[in-house]
Amino acid sequence: MSIEILENLRKAVIQYDSEGAAIWAKKAIEKGIDPMKALAALTDAIRQIGNGYGRGEFFLPDLVGAAKVMTNATPIIEEEIKRSGKKREFLGTIVIGTVYGDIHSIGKTMVATLLTAEGFEVIDLGVNVTAHKFMEAIRKYQPHIIAMSALMTITAPEQKKIVSILKKEGLRDKVKIMIGGAAVTQEFAESIGVDGYEATAPDGVKLAKRLIGMG
Amino acid sequence: MVNKGFVRKFKPLEILTDEQIEEIHRGTLDVLERTGIRFESEKALKFLADNGCQVDFKNKRVRIPSYLVEECLDKCPSSFHLKSRDPKNNLRIGGNTVYFTASVGMRTVDLDTWEQRIPTMKENDDAVRVLDALDTVHQLVSYCPYSEIKGVPPVLAYPVSTASRMRNSTKVSRTSQVMDSEIWDIKMAEVTGTDVLGDMEASPPLTYYENTVNSAFRFGKTRFPVFMASGCVMGGTGPATFAGSTVTNNAEIMAGIVLLQLISPGKGVMASHFVFPMNMQTGQPGFGGVEIALHDVIFNQIWRKYGIPVASCNPYASSAKTIGFQCGYERMLLTLTAALSGANFIILHGGIHGELTFHPIQAILDDDIAGMVGRFIEGVEVTNETLAVDLIEEVGPIPGMYLDKEHTRKWWKREFFLPMVADRLPYPEWVKKGKKTAVENAKERFREILATYEPIPLSKEQNKEIEEILKEAREYYSDKGMM
Repeated sequence: MSIEILENLRKAVIQYDSEGAAIWAKKAIEKGIDPMKALAALTDAIRQIGNGYGRGEFFLPDLVGAAKVMTNATPIIEEEIKRSGKKREFLGTIVIGTVYGDIHSIGKTMVATLLTAEGFEVIDLGVNVTAHKFMEAIRKYQPHIIAMSALMTITAPEQKKIVSILKKEGLRDKVKIMIGGAAVTQEFAESIGVDGYEATAPDGVKLAKRLIGMG
Repeated sequence: MVNKGFVRKFKPLEILTDEQIEEIHRGTLDVLERTGIRFESEKALKFLADNGCQVDFKNKRVRIPSYLVEECLDKCPSSFHLKSRDPKNNLRIGGNTVYFTASVGMRTVDLDTWEQRIPTMKENDDAVRVLDALDTVHQLVSYCPYSEIKGVPPVLAYPVSTASRMRNSTKVSRTSQVMDSEIWDIKMAEVTGTDVLGDMEASPPLTYYENTVNSAFRFGKTRFPVFMASGCVMGGTGPATFAGSTVTNNAEIMAGIVLLQLISPGKGVMASHFVFPMNMQTGQPGFGGVEIALHDVIFNQIWRKYGIPVASCNPYASSAKTIGFQCGYERMLLTLTAALSGANFIILHGGIHGELTFHPIQAILDDDIAGMVGRFIEGVEVTNETLAVDLIEEVGPIPGMYLDKEHTRKWWKREFFLPMVADRLPYPEWVKKGKKTAVENAKERFREILATYEPIPLSKEQNKEIEEILKEAREYYSDKGMM
């Protein structure tokens, strides 16, 4: 029975069935299934899509669509985890956003989706995010990594501002900074003093894992 | 005096029925009236509320009644004039006229390694001179040709780039609208006695940011017409369907037109789109895709009904990273369909990969593409003289021939197009001359232009005034902590 429920939960994600995902998540809780196992079923499913995307079998609408389905089921399961006094384990916490002066969201959303699928806790601040907003989120969530997306290098001063505030507050060593975006280069990353740069979303995930000492 | 550009002498390519156009129009009005547009600007929200729009201040949402949209579309003139400091580069935008515009890249690219790098100031200035020398370049876009220049702080690159265009070219520039950059564009236009084409770009889906709104209010106070653009990525920031993405794209442009026409009734407007399909593997815009051509044809057909000049913004952008076969076939398809379907402006010369790279050698190759497409749309002339029935009677069958006839001498140059750099040599000659390709011929033309071409300079006073404006820009951004 419990295997069947978990299988249906997994299937709901790979079949992009938002309603089904919520129904099977609730059923899993009702039947007393370990919420950690239910969560694992969801992340297995999204990883399956993520791997298929990496192999060129699935495309972005599949990946982002499945991630959206997941967000319908995870709060139900997370609530149960909380209720049972357990704690969800993440690889790490990442605050992500497109920097001030830039309103491009797609690349940032792809990276956020893949990071979530990989098992990171992702706080997505959206687009046009000022240094001030980034700093607020850093203080609130104490992330392992901040990930900034910038299509245009004109936004460099705002990114430098974050680096210098972090330094001033003695926090620079406590958080890793990664950047990406169409016009961003390794050279640019070095010039503003961040820890890493990658050009594609899947490589961005690998970079995040490297930055927290995993691989 | 006006540069005549190219004139399309036959019916434009149309692929929608009148009923389909009506449906798209109604869908667009419905979106503007029901869904509305988000304006990230208190000033715009208040202004639009005072002028008949329904405004939800909390959610920054503006719902525009259909009558107001149609009224504002009607206020746009069907054509407008752009004055250059050299009368031969004056433009009259609209009707069947097609002008070509040089494009933009953030950086240059090495023609041997294809690695991208930031150009020097001299490379920027040289590229502008090349664009000034090319007859098929009628206008220059914002940030043209490079939006990053070595040694120039990013935020200053825009005014510095405009100053370079003002100094090295008499062709009319379009302004930018990033971080208040239009302030300097407008000032430089005023001191050089030239017009500029203003710029307002929506942020799909259905949003206007403060930069654009500020630009609208600033241009409202000038005599300059405005390039009104939007460009979703189909499946990302707009629906994946052609009809749906046309609806959102047109709604975005129309909301901008409403704002602008309410600020400055009768202002000249050019409707422009840069819709791309999404590359569903990488998330990037699908530069060079056939989907762009379809979108262009639909867009141009619909806006012709509104009687508003149109621009095709995408022919310059390829997915290819190199000057070569893919870059060539993508831009030729997009340029040809844009011209056939009635674009008044086509952004073409110089861009290579997306908005990332530009090279003057590509611009020289594009001079041939623009010339070929321009020749095509000028169509054929059918008169007694071109029919040449009497001449055919005179020449008769073999051994008759036409090569020695005055009719041939008179007409071949008018009827044929002579490319500047295409390789058209017979094989033995091609071998003898070093087996040069079009790209190598373009490199030669590039060197020749730089060695011989001198743009009309600004006066000493004008140069000094430009320098003053740059100084002012430097102080402005320093004060804002952006340097």
